[in-house]
Amino acid sequence: MLLAATTPLTLPDYIVIGLYLVGTIAMGFVIGMKMKTGSDYFLGGRQLPWWAIGMSLVATDIGGTDIIGVGGAAFSHGLAVANFEWIGCVPAMIVGAFIFIPFFYRAGVYTVPEFLERRYNAGVRSVVAVCWLLFMACNLGIMLLASAKMMSAVFGWDESACIVLTAVLVGSYTLVGGLTAVVYTDMIQCVVMIVGCLLILVLGLVEVGGIRELRSRLAAADARTQAQALQVEPDASSTDAAVVATKAATRDAERTSLILPVDTQTPFPWPGIYFGLALILSPAYWIGNQAIVQRSLGARNEFEAKASYIWGALLKNVIPLIVAVPGLIALALLPDLKDGDAAIPNLVGVLLPAGMRGLFVAAFLAALMSSIDSYLNSAATIVANDFYKRFVNRSVSDQSLLKVGRLTTIGLILWALAFAFLLTVTNEKSGIYAIFQTLMAFFQGPCFAILLIGILWRRATGNAALIALLSGIGTSMSLYALNQPTIYEALDWQPLFQIQEPFLYFSIWAFVVTSLVLVIASLLSGPVPTDKLQYVFGGYAVPKRATPTALEKPAPDEAAGESP
Amino acid sequence: MTPLHRFGQFLRESLQIIPLSMVRLLFVGTLVVLLVWVLRLPKSATMPPDGAKRWDENLKLGATIALLIQIIVYLCL
Repeated sequence: MLLAATTPLTLPDYIVIGLYLVGTIAMGFVIGMKMKTGSDYFLGGRQLPWWAIGMSLVATDIGGTDIIGVGGAAFSHGLAVANFEWIGCVPAMIVGAFIFIPFFYRAGVYTVPEFLERRYNAGVRSVVAVCWLLFMACNLGIMLLASAKMMSAVFGWDESACIVLTAVLVGSYTLVGGLTAVVYTDMIQCVVMIVGCLLILVLGLVEVGGIRELRSRLAAADARTQAQALQVEPDASSTDAAVVATKAATRDAERTSLILPVDTQTPFPWPGIYFGLALILSPAYWIGNQAIVQRSLGARNEFEAKASYIWGALLKNVIPLIVAVPGLIALALLPDLKDGDAAIPNLVGVLLPAGMRGLFVAAFLAALMSSIDSYLNSAATIVANDFYKRFVNRSVSDQSLLKVGRLTTIGLILWALAFAFLLTVTNEKSGIYAIFQTLMAFFQGPCFAILLIGILWRRATGNAALIALLSGIGTSMSLYALNQPTIYEALDWQPLFQIQEPFLYFSIWAFVVTSLVLVIASLLSGPVPTDKLQYVFGGYAVPKRATPTALEKPAPDEAAGESP
Repeated sequence: MTPLHRFGQFLRESLQIIPLSMVRLLFVGTLVVLLVWVLRLPKSATMPPDGAKRWDENLKLGATIALLIQIIVYLCL
């Protein structure tokens, strides 16, 4: 996997990387000079243009490990991984643009948990804020470590130095420039990422000889793999051979298909993709993830907030072509590779000449930095607004909130560094890696269920939402536990799910349980207070936030909610 | 086999009966329904409050292109 061992980076490569890093950091610092209030820091003073937000949405969604991991998954499992960027993004972004984002924008909130308090109560807000904060804070450490491991393996750089350097670089401009710096640097990072990956795609297709040749080489690679499987079983009967031949044909069909059968050996069976990803996890991510929604709340007006999502959806159509298809190209050109994650680095070594490899490294760094900066800023927003301003000092001034935001950002950088090094010490084999990757599936389904039903159904009550939320999180955690070998073997059970990494199924059942509990508990409880109904469709309209000065004032219901 | 396992097995077997061509129809159909919904959205939801000054200020256009690409992708792959 070591790219540096076979194709070392040269001076021109380092110049390209250096230019990218200096440009990004300088831009963050220049923007940071203009920060004066908490609104500037957390929402870019609500002056962000739609085109920058749209590109930032896409850059945030693609992390450094995705650049190599998605290509690796395409190499190992086929094109079905592209579902996560296509039906797992575009429809939810469009629904979000026209329905949910205008709703949040008009409410004038800083965070999604804040909206949930207005619709339900402080308990729901706190639970959701804690879930997101825990996830983001831990994920920051995981992203630092995962990216450092990747950089160490691919480029031969020292792992500890990569962790510290990434934290310092990203932390510095996020600390100084807040959301505005995050969005504008993300914009540059989006361009660098697309150009770098596009280079691999185009040169790869030229090297293979076009799309038709790519398909025939993929079929040949699958046939060869199955033939090798037959050779290692010399006593295989003719029936076995027929089974293997059928498997080869099936594998070939699955390699370039987006829709895979229920019994596929990959983690992407169609019920998981359709019900778990497209209908639940994807809307939960694009409509309920603070790191995503926050930047659209910083748009100049409601129309631009919507436009940013539509622009992002258009860009999203391109992403699988540049991150997943190179994995298939790697399979066609380098079919003997054993590790999927080695596919893209090796492809870079084969395809890119000296000097151009720097562009790929810059693309990798861009994807990595754009995700870390967003999570850093959003976690700080949740701490400052959902905890400090809500529970510690309700009358805090906007200038003081800026200081709280910056101090929180420093705290989060230190926490992320400590957590990354803790993971290094405990070794990823402890399972903590996989646990936190699955963590999002634990609470995203339940959070989305209460958000969706709360907006659509007037009868949903605050206490019912809290009970439902906790029930849903409990359900997904129980399903996860029951699918762990140590637990189901102790109980003398079979695993509940038959596929690898069934996190899509956890989210479906957690969503279903949350919805049922919310509906039943709401019907059993008293009526919803009238002031909550302005946050429901078909209820009262959420007051439009028209002028910049009005944006800085708390919404009337917020003030009411704060009184005892 | 617990009741949970039996329920899971029942669901798996039921979903396996559905041919992949019908599943593709489900994926594409969902996108088509979404496209129709977008095309029927009122101007107030897709244009700036003071009306579109340029052709690209109508968000229906961008959303329609994004969904048409998706429909083609899921029809072909």
